[in-house]
Amino acid sequence: MTTPDTTTAPDVPDAIAGERTDRRIIGGELLSVDDISLSFGGVKALSHVNFDIREGEVRAIIGPNGAGKSSMLNVINGFYHPDSGAITYKGQTRKEMRPDQAARQGIARTFQNIALFHGMSTLDNIMTGRNTKMHRNFLWQALHIGPARREELAHREKVEEIIDFLEIQSIRKTPVGRLPYGLQKRVELGRALAAEPELLLLDEPMAGMNSEEKEDMCRFVLDVNEEFGTTIALIEHDMSVVMDISDRVLVLDYGVKIADGTPDTVRSNQQVIDAYLGVSHDENRA
Amino acid sequence: MDFLNAILVTPFVEIADSPVFFAEVAINGLLTGVMYSLVALGFVLIFKASGVFNFAQGIMVLFAALTLVGLMEHGAPVWLALILTVGVMIALAFAIERLMLRHLVNQEQIILFMATIGLAFFLEGFGETLWGSNVKKLDVGIPDMPLEFGGILLSSFDLIAALIGAVLVASLAIFFQKTAIGRALRAVADDHQAALSVGIPLKTIWIIVWSVSGMVALVAGIMWGAKSGVQFSLSLIALKALPVLILGGFTSVPGAIIGGLIIGVGEKIAEVYWGPAVGGAIENWFAYMLALAFLLFRPQGLFGERIIERV
Repeated sequence: MTTPDTTTAPDVPDAIAGERTDRRIIGGELLSVDDISLSFGGVKALSHVNFDIREGEVRAIIGPNGAGKSSMLNVINGFYHPDSGAITYKGQTRKEMRPDQAARQGIARTFQNIALFHGMSTLDNIMTGRNTKMHRNFLWQALHIGPARREELAHREKVEEIIDFLEIQSIRKTPVGRLPYGLQKRVELGRALAAEPELLLLDEPMAGMNSEEKEDMCRFVLDVNEEFGTTIALIEHDMSVVMDISDRVLVLDYGVKIADGTPDTVRSNQQVIDAYLGVSHDENRA
Repeated sequence: MDFLNAILVTPFVEIADSPVFFAEVAINGLLTGVMYSLVALGFVLIFKASGVFNFAQGIMVLFAALTLVGLMEHGAPVWLALILTVGVMIALAFAIERLMLRHLVNQEQIILFMATIGLAFFLEGFGETLWGSNVKKLDVGIPDMPLEFGGILLSSFDLIAALIGAVLVASLAIFFQKTAIGRALRAVADDHQAALSVGIPLKTIWIIVWSVSGMVALVAGIMWGAKSGVQFSLSLIALKALPVLILGGFTSVPGAIIGGLIIGVGEKIAEVYWGPAVGGAIENWFAYMLALAFLLFRPQGLFGERIIERV
């Protein structure tokens, strides 16, 4: 197996990636997944998957439908508890986490089928992302005076910064249920960013978007990665996007890791090509 | 002709004849309305936090009142019995979270609803096993004397009860609309998974909400129990909360308050002025008729969130 090359920038042919500078420093291991297996009844969603995510990188997880990509993210942020294996995050090894613990330790995420709070405004949705940063003194909050009020204002300021960053000022007060799909995805990213995460998990952030919206989203993902130094793990089906923005790519097929490395090495991997083109293993050997 | 006359003319003539009496009827209606709001609020809180219609809310009113009376019958002074009952209601919230809700995260709402039906049966049986099923008299020491304001006759008990109810309702409304907990609560109601992903501790929120609605049930239980005795029928006033909720909207705290007041006033006025024309007892069904009319023309209620679904 080749050692993934993380010092060179990935192949960046078009305008989106043109903005990408390579001043980023890819650090040590932030998260490592060791021998994770997960099954639902008799269906094996993941079997013996190993990979790591390094500080500051953009890590893509790809694979055909049903490959176990979303399950992998759900294991990382604690929605699913693996049958076996362990996860090491920031040096701490554990078998499973609770989602709210994961959130408090700096793991934020978005969902494949947008999971926003539909009745609430954009602003309130993003404010909920600040939850982990708020002091947990319910009594002060209940009284809504003094420190609690000041705290609320400070959080509000941070949220306004995120709103500016994502260029969604005009929909600040709009209930998100009324927003078009592309904007909802952006609000969901905003909510994840509000937690100032160290690890951001994006589950198909560009699914169902038109090319203009995709370009915007790509730009935001890259900006988040470069300006805030946030480590990003994303699932994406659009191969040109994956190849452009990610440092390393993990490929899953039927819950098994079939390739892991830089976009270039993964692209030329025969097993990956087969998985995507649907060539059966017998034909392959023949 | 007589009938039309009795419906369309006589009531208004009577109102015009004696505006003071009309005011008395309306104010008495308002005072009852506050009590309806209180019961409805218990529903709204849980509905907002877990998206589930808590069928057991009425039984919780009965259970709280039964516990209070039971403790007082065993010789506890009022203040001690109150504190202990509050403790019991909080313990109940913990138990409900641990034994019921925790296992139903991300389930369909109908399943949560069914679970609350089960809870209702359990609490009814459990309460009566503990404290007996006979009608109990509850006296918490609120004086009941007739008071007169400018010719309007009011009961001091109703007045104090309404005042307590109003304070409770107002503080809860502020608590849930203006604070970060309120926001967390709405988030949980909207999407369990998303709420978890931003680190909102679902369990804590549920315990808070069920405890608070336990408190609300206790206050409602005390007020209604002191009026009509603590007995099984106490749990039926929860039924009156249904039209209140339809009127005000299931998701709105102000809606529960105003809905309660409208129904309280409406049914009293209807009973006094329109009752004679149809032989009385309007009070029992007026609220439901009003709710039906609302369902036809404004199903989300006066203040409920209008559900817009993009397709």
